[in-house]
Amino acid sequence: MKFSKVFYNGLVKENPIFVQALGMCSVLAVTTSAINGLAMGLAVTAVLVSSNLVVSLLRKVIPDKIRIPAFIVVIATFVTIVEMFMKAYTRDLYNALGIFIPLIVVNCIILGRAEAFASKNSLLPSIVDGLGMGAGYTLAVVILGSIREILGSGSLFGIQLFGASFEPALIFIMPPGAFIVLGILIGLFNHVRKRKEASETGVREEVLDEYIYNID
Amino acid sequence: MKEITKIGLILLLITAVAGVILGVSNAVTSEKIAEIEKIANNAAKQEVLKEAKNFVALDEKRLKEIAGSNQNVLEISEGYDANSSLVGYVFKITSNGYGGEIQFMVGISKKGYITGIKILNHRETPGLGANATKSFFTDSFKGKSVADKLVVVKHPPKADNEIQALTGATITSNAIVNGVNMVREIYNSKLAN
Repeated sequence: MKFSKVFYNGLVKENPIFVQALGMCSVLAVTTSAINGLAMGLAVTAVLVSSNLVVSLLRKVIPDKIRIPAFIVVIATFVTIVEMFMKAYTRDLYNALGIFIPLIVVNCIILGRAEAFASKNSLLPSIVDGLGMGAGYTLAVVILGSIREILGSGSLFGIQLFGASFEPALIFIMPPGAFIVLGILIGLFNHVRKRKEASETGVREEVLDEYIYNID
Repeated sequence: MKEITKIGLILLLITAVAGVILGVSNAVTSEKIAEIEKIANNAAKQEVLKEAKNFVALDEKRLKEIAGSNQNVLEISEGYDANSSLVGYVFKITSNGYGGEIQFMVGISKKGYITGIKILNHRETPGLGANATKSFFTDSFKGKSVADKLVVVKHPPKADNEIQALTGATITSNAIVNGVNMVREIYNSKLAN
């Protein structure tokens, strides 16, 4: 199994946000600024890699019947560790992300990858998958957070971009703005992905459309 | 070995290991966390009562004497300067804002005026009520006498006891002013002597 292929899968082909649409509530809630998105992305990646690692190591030991509670214990342990360390060493980011740190436990991406990949693959590919999916998630939330911050607060990573006369469009740092920007990004991402796939495989874009949307 | 026993034991093993790891992580971080919270608390109190260098929180019994059964008063601290004389008090209170509870600190100088306020936690709307944290709003409380009840007005203040509301956030503004008035009343009746 080519590691670059596994990584690329998580980053682009099966991007957890833009393609799989998993773990959306955290995405919408924490992307009010670029730095919040980045912090959340790194926290999710840390948990994803750790849990994939442990689940893969224990995949022959955990009986099939109790795999879900076993996965959840593993994931919850790592999230709690991340939370404790963020509370101690990166307090400002901890305060900014608030309840969404513990909510990483129920983020579908993590349980999803544990079930779909780590429990069926060996150690190194599982780690790479964790990195890839984490990178895909981080990419999505940083882009989303940056756009919302620029349009809604006039700054990027806290640095003011425009002068005092700039009136930000507040809607972008509120929930409706999150949905709007996310929807547009998903559309753009999939449009580019489809074009690339069409040119690579020689299949016409209209045919890919039918395949994706099950148009009869 | 029966299957259910085997399953139970494996689950027990996994959770036991998880428990140990969590215990260790907690031991490693708990001191730092307590330290940071103390620093943040002290820093916030310093911000609202600049003349004070040390703060001593009233113990539960004394807090009850002063604040009674008022659930909105979370903490009252005495502020002492470098010569260990009492210069004022910092109240940590909550008030019902637009999106939930607003937790903030109010500093009162023994000379009978408000030294400042600082918002700690809130869930107000970004760009509207959330502007309560900005200095242009919090500064408007500085220097106000504790003698007169503060009122919210929607124009630039004409009298000393007027506070201009935040644009589009009257509920937030009222919540904060109500909280400050509550502090004023407690101070006037129980602490000013």
